[in-house]
Amino acid sequence: MKNSISQIKKALIEKKISVSELYDEYLVKAKSGNNNSFNLVIDRENNISSIKDSQNRYDNGNPLPLDGIPLGIKDLFCTKGIRTTASSKILSNFIPNYESFVTQQLLNDGSIFIGKNNCDEFAMGSSNETSYFGPVINPWKNKNSQKDNLVPGGSSGGSAAAVAEGSCVASIGTDTGGSIRQPASLCGIVGLKPTFGSCSRWGIVAFASSLDQAGPLTNCVEDAAYILNSVNKHDFNDSTSSNHQREDYLIDMNNSLEKKVKIGIPSDYLEDVSDDILNQIDNTKKALSKHGIEFVDVEFKTTEYALSTYYILAPAEASSNLARYDGVRYGVREDGESLDDIYLNSRTKGFGDEVTRRILIGAYVLSAGYYDAYYRQAQKVRRLIKNDFQRILNEVDFILTPTTPNEAFKIGDKLDPISMYKNDIYTVPTSLAGLPGISIPSGLSKNGLPLGVQFIGNYFEEKTLLQLAALAEKELSFNEQ
Amino acid sequence: MSDIDIKRISYLAKLKLPSEKEEFYSNSLKDIIKWVDNLKKVDTKKIEPLHNVTEKTVSIRNDEVIKSNSVDDVLSNAPERAQNFFKVPKVVE
Repeated sequence: MKNSISQIKKALIEKKISVSELYDEYLVKAKSGNNNSFNLVIDRENNISSIKDSQNRYDNGNPLPLDGIPLGIKDLFCTKGIRTTASSKILSNFIPNYESFVTQQLLNDGSIFIGKNNCDEFAMGSSNETSYFGPVINPWKNKNSQKDNLVPGGSSGGSAAAVAEGSCVASIGTDTGGSIRQPASLCGIVGLKPTFGSCSRWGIVAFASSLDQAGPLTNCVEDAAYILNSVNKHDFNDSTSSNHQREDYLIDMNNSLEKKVKIGIPSDYLEDVSDDILNQIDNTKKALSKHGIEFVDVEFKTTEYALSTYYILAPAEASSNLARYDGVRYGVREDGESLDDIYLNSRTKGFGDEVTRRILIGAYVLSAGYYDAYYRQAQKVRRLIKNDFQRILNEVDFILTPTTPNEAFKIGDKLDPISMYKNDIYTVPTSLAGLPGISIPSGLSKNGLPLGVQFIGNYFEEKTLLQLAALAEKELSFNEQ
Repeated sequence: MSDIDIKRISYLAKLKLPSEKEEFYSNSLKDIIKWVDNLKKVDTKKIEPLHNVTEKTVSIRNDEVIKSNSVDDVLSNAPERAQNFFKVPKVVE
């Protein structure tokens, strides 16, 4: 099993390894770049002073919470002075002169950035195949066809692959409809999407502002709590940032849950799923039943509308957010005789196929004559979906679902957009409701590929959600397999 | 569902689709719009649209001037600049 943040910190405190040695170990792996999980690996020289400062804090006996921990940063977070591309041609030369709120918190806590992780272009995708910099390869192989390169999931595919291949200790990604949880599941790691409004969106390249949320991809649940402690803070620069009191997610993490827990399993989610996926739910149920946790069947009334709602709202918001890329103020400009030509040429040549498709969907559902029928109707159905979740969370404390409907598939296998969109069937509803969800690895498929289960909790109750996930992780002992 | 005018939609989005790709996007859009059409059967007469899921994020801060972004910072990524301006082709004669 890979070392956890607390194990690494212990080794640093006991001087079994130096910050510099630790950094180099991960840097070498990141530089080898076999899986294309990084768009950019930061030069060692740019990190030298951070490494020194971190080592000094260890030597003085007062290390910061993430001191010296090498992290991967999804190439969607603006990083001051470091190229930030959103894996798009149109931003391929963009160097932000400010730091996103979330990455600033990680720096304040002493972590060191290895580089910027590859992702789907503007985070639009479920396989990391829409990146301008090429697909990411899942470090896992199908044991029955070893030579096939598989997708890592998406959009935070590079972030998930980097943690799984060991080129960073943990990474920070973003999740709009499943972009943290789905790749975490397909790469056999932990991925947490916090409640919408937990982590500031300031400085994250915007996709769909009512859904985008940052969160950790890690080797274990405890590491997710470390990262969440750092990044989950109120920020005035994001008007949707919640100002509720945050808890320390590490304290009592491995203690048993205080009250008797009841978990709902949505029976409608499990119709027509494969044995591989059913096994994950059964194993998790079995593992947790030992602890007196009660399982009940629950039924959603809105599941069949979730993907439709999402594929109206997310493209609508994206088409508005991506209107800013005009070739005038930043990004790549394509020449044209008039200003209008510059807009048209820069955008048409700067965006890839999937991003273009989503902008077109968004423009259509927002256009005169269709706004009420599609966009407004989807916003109303979104409320029904939220109400549906609230009804069920009045009956149970958590919801258990598969994270994905299938294992990692071959690169190039899914060409039709709708079959790709269906990959997010279990993660999209949670995103629409704004609830927190965590995916933990639960076992292997018949082909020897990792699969995950998702626990969904109530608003801002990440603390108990992490406690439950830690317990399930211990019982399922995926990392010891 | 009425036919999709791909030229109009792409113009609204400030995109100039190459003619050989118009059909590709047009068909793709049709498929997706057909796929999401099931929302029409949901009764939402008494339902308010949902804009912000957590609906409790209003926070007030003091109105203080904060120093951020110099002119040079803001212009540092401009494809073309002239003095303190973004430069584009002439718009008015």
